[in-house]
Amino acid sequence: MTQNNIETAVEVKNITKSYPGVTANDSVDFKVLKGEIHALVGENGAGKSTLVKILYGIEQPDSGEIFINDKPVEINKVDKAIELGIGMVHQEFHLVPSFTAAENIGLGQEPRNSRGFIDWDELNSEVSNIAKKYGLDVDPKLRMIDASVGIQQRTEILKTLYRNANILILDEPTAVLTPQETDELFEVIRSLVDEGKTVIFITHKLREVMEISDRVTVMRDGKVQGVSNTKDTSPEELAKLMVGREVFMQVEKEEAKPTEKVLEVKNLWVHDSRGLLAVKNLSLDVHKGEIVGIAGVDGNGQTELVEALSGLRPTSKGEVIFDGKNIESISPRKRRRAGLAHVPEDRANTGLNLKLDIWENLVGTSYFRSPLSKGGIISMKNVVDHSNNLREKFDIRTPGVFVRTGSLSGGNQQKVVIARELSEDPLLTIASQPTRGVDIGNIEAIHKQLVEIRDSGKAVLLVSAELDEVMSVADRVAVIYEGEIVEWVNPKDVDQQQMGLYMAGIKD
Amino acid sequence: MEKFSFKDVLILFAGTIITIGIAWVLLTVTGFVPREIGKLFFEGAVVGQRNILNTLNIATPYILTSIATVVSFRVGMFNIGINGSMYIGGLYAAWAGYKFTSLGHIPHVSLCIAIAVITGSLWMLLPALLKVYAGVSEIISTIILNFVAVLFVSYMANGPFRADPIAPATPRILETAELKQYFPNSQFNSGFFIAVIIAFLTYFILKKTTFGYELRSGGDGLVGFYPSRYSSYLGIPSDRSAITGMLISGGLGGLAGGIEILGNARYFYQELLFNQGFDGILIAIVGKLEPIGGLIASLFWSALRNGGLFVDYKTEVSREIVVILLSILIFFVSAQKLVSSLERFKFVRKLDAFFTRKIK
Amino acid sequence: MEWLEIFDISLFRSLIRSATPIALIGFGAAMCSASGVLNIGLEGKMLNAAFVGIAASYYSGSALTGFIWGVSAGVLTAILFGVLSFNLGADEVLVGLAINIFSIAGTRYLLETLFKRRGFFSDPSIQGIDPINFEFLVDTRFEKILSGYTPSIYLVFFLAIVLYLVYYKTRLGTAIRATGENPEAAEDAGINTLRMKWLTVIFSGVLAGIGGTFLSLENMTLFTEGMSAGKGYIGLVASSFGNNTPIGTFGASLFFGLGDAIGIRLQGVYELDSRLILMVPYALTVVVLILIGIRQRIRVRPVPIPEQ
Repeated sequence: MTQNNIETAVEVKNITKSYPGVTANDSVDFKVLKGEIHALVGENGAGKSTLVKILYGIEQPDSGEIFINDKPVEINKVDKAIELGIGMVHQEFHLVPSFTAAENIGLGQEPRNSRGFIDWDELNSEVSNIAKKYGLDVDPKLRMIDASVGIQQRTEILKTLYRNANILILDEPTAVLTPQETDELFEVIRSLVDEGKTVIFITHKLREVMEISDRVTVMRDGKVQGVSNTKDTSPEELAKLMVGREVFMQVEKEEAKPTEKVLEVKNLWVHDSRGLLAVKNLSLDVHKGEIVGIAGVDGNGQTELVEALSGLRPTSKGEVIFDGKNIESISPRKRRRAGLAHVPEDRANTGLNLKLDIWENLVGTSYFRSPLSKGGIISMKNVVDHSNNLREKFDIRTPGVFVRTGSLSGGNQQKVVIARELSEDPLLTIASQPTRGVDIGNIEAIHKQLVEIRDSGKAVLLVSAELDEVMSVADRVAVIYEGEIVEWVNPKDVDQQQMGLYMAGIKD
Repeated sequence: MEKFSFKDVLILFAGTIITIGIAWVLLTVTGFVPREIGKLFFEGAVVGQRNILNTLNIATPYILTSIATVVSFRVGMFNIGINGSMYIGGLYAAWAGYKFTSLGHIPHVSLCIAIAVITGSLWMLLPALLKVYAGVSEIISTIILNFVAVLFVSYMANGPFRADPIAPATPRILETAELKQYFPNSQFNSGFFIAVIIAFLTYFILKKTTFGYELRSGGDGLVGFYPSRYSSYLGIPSDRSAITGMLISGGLGGLAGGIEILGNARYFYQELLFNQGFDGILIAIVGKLEPIGGLIASLFWSALRNGGLFVDYKTEVSREIVVILLSILIFFVSAQKLVSSLERFKFVRKLDAFFTRKIK
Repeated sequence: MEWLEIFDISLFRSLIRSATPIALIGFGAAMCSASGVLNIGLEGKMLNAAFVGIAASYYSGSALTGFIWGVSAGVLTAILFGVLSFNLGADEVLVGLAINIFSIAGTRYLLETLFKRRGFFSDPSIQGIDPINFEFLVDTRFEKILSGYTPSIYLVFFLAIVLYLVYYKTRLGTAIRATGENPEAAEDAGINTLRMKWLTVIFSGVLAGIGGTFLSLENMTLFTEGMSAGKGYIGLVASSFGNNTPIGTFGASLFFGLGDAIGIRLQGVYELDSRLILMVPYALTVVVLILIGIRQRIRVRPVPIPEQ
């Protein structure tokens, strides 16, 4: 067998995968050549994750064929993918915290001595050797509980190499890394390819695509939009393919009439749960009578920004001035009382307690006030009236308010959250991913409500990874990238391609 | 845990039929006539003043421990140390019962009960704090405390509180500290009313007060929800709710022990055996973690137990058959997948929806 | 310092006897916990085994038959636990509790129905398991320390070593630990996590079975109501004390056994109440749990904010 017999490492033909209500992969053709770094790019929900999950045996396609090294294969479980030499580094690491790097790397495949016991010394030295070969600096005896995120990721990569993976899938690998760690990762990826490995690199950061990849495939709405050699393309072209649409749909609304300033964020810094800086020196302001949008791909600090504004996460530095007062150190309840409402992105655990009844979730922000309760005793009649009013006004489809919230559809659950938050008539509503997992009919209703709030002279801060949503609903849009605002744009003026570039962190 | 629905009725019904079938077989195999045993059983459980009173008297600690379970589970804490609180509450109720000699009836009983509640409650402080501040599983820590409680009360009854030179026991409580027994033929006492009032009070507090709402906001189910994002999102400190819930739960356990002493035993002795704290957990599950459900399930449970005692007394059949059958019933009720698999049938779904509308 | 006199060979032997059932249960509980199953139903498994063991020995007149039946009873109860919690979606802790209550009542029922006894059952036709005497140790100074224990006691020491090896030095051991700590990582490595859980639950059933027959056929040759007397729970506590490791669990069991042995010895002899001594292991367990809890908290080191 000669070396150039096998040219394609992975080839996927005509793959289709549907979930209830959405076609995640629609007749996808995808081809990765042996020994290349292939970038797979697209917005949230473009179908990248589904495609690699199919390749790694986590999901099964409804139809289509997969070829690995030119041979047709059926990857019905993860074991099979590993056997075929496919390795995957998930965005969420799958590591055992109390195990050392070597123990994690060797898990399930540890070398054994003649008596059947694991030969830890052998494993440690094997791991050291592989690490050295690919320039991955990992101490085999370091426990993962004590390791930095970068080391954890290198351990994950070593895990795949240890299992002789020739095709490595890296899912948004730079999302958790500092810039220096990203540079180191790129070095590693290059040395992997030098050693004959093939790398599939999933990302939404076009700068990284340009820097690291040989070829690039762009996906949107479950379909492949284009494949090209990286050196023959430009970020502009890729951005256009990624975003796709020529014009954004506009929600019917009049020109905004902003009045006085209601929220002012000055040089805000916020750490995430891993201790990394998620929001960096960010400033913005929101006025009454306008909807300010924050656009950007997930994981660029939006979650932490919103949590810091609503009081769920401490701010590390900077000021948050709401309605003329500094609020960065007061409790969520006091912020609400001051008129700040919050529709959180995590509906199931934060926005609602799904084990409570609908009425109980509807009165979460108001149960302690007259007329809903007096002297600590809840007035059931008033509560039920109140809940039924909200149910009617916000069109929550349910047999009654005494039903478990968890039994409602996603859209109706979201309406419960929105109904509760808006029932307080807040000065500012922070809506984070308000239409995620919501069906189309309800999306429209939610957008209309946001515009109505604005028209009644109140303010809205809309944070969404759905570009269409931000651009059609908001009056001013800030694009966030790695915790910083790249640019402020007017949705009516901005060009699609330009928007795609901003979201990928490229500014002029 | 899912809300009470038609499926539960169906499972309870089917489970009951099956357990009755098992009982039938067991009795027949062991040479008894099931029909006659059944008749005796029914008589012992609910026929005649004396039997009814005894059933209610047995129910008292079950009602309290099942409600103690309801409270802790619904704030998201898995408290299985209620039995320990019962011992501690019982011991200190006995102590207060003989120690305070110059009080009137009402003040003395009230004092004893208050002491039982407070000591039982404080007993749960440690596991609550351990869970909240050190992440120690409350399941393990409450199991440990159950053992420590048994050792501790037995030490106290042997040492500091011992009165009787022959048997390790405290002095008898004073008459002023007794919960009144109304009938000569039964130990039934006013503790039962306290338990029933507590059941309704807990229902009221959990469901109809802002305090209860804040307790439940971080839990309201079987599996621990703590620490809850929803609570912090609303600005309710979920640490405080979890600790408060555990303290209330322990307090109710202490009350159960106190009433057993003040109403039935009248002194604390080393061999005193409480296990209602464990049974209460299962009863609470049958009652779907609702206070009134717990009350009803406790009455049901004690009727069966008392019926079993009666059968045991009248015949050669062991009273334990009741507990066996009840635990088999628990296996059915707790098998969530079995319950939800009933949704496959259309009539179940329909009746479920109907049921939901009916109870508003 | 006259109370120091109690530390003699017979205290040692009594310690070992007390520690054995705790360690047997503890090993099972530790393996279950390591694979992520909180098994509080071991008390019931042990009790069922104790009863079935003695009943089988009584009817067959053979200690071995008694042992085999006893262990089978432990395993069957473990299967009931597994089916309910793994296949039928019931809560593990609830199932464990229900099994314990079921077993206390079940054994009492059978005691009364089969043997027409209340409280306890003992009969000359019950064959117990005899102690093993090592001929080569006779008249050496090790005889009193090492010889003359029943088989389960030697088994415990053997198991401590075997489990240590399995836990740290085999693929099975790492697979079990990975299953409990991060099932996704385990599944990723091709480990069937459900199978691991079943395995540890069945294993704990076998050990609980041996522990049960130890109580009724080895340590004594009789059955008393509720004779497991909380050892199923203590074993679980011991495994928590030992952070679910074999050696840790073994050490904790010896410690509980020591408390027990001193407790028995002190009864009514010295002023120090034995119950206070029995509390010491529990108090220490709490301390250990706090330390483990604090250690497992994820340490977040915030990145410094750069100066402008």
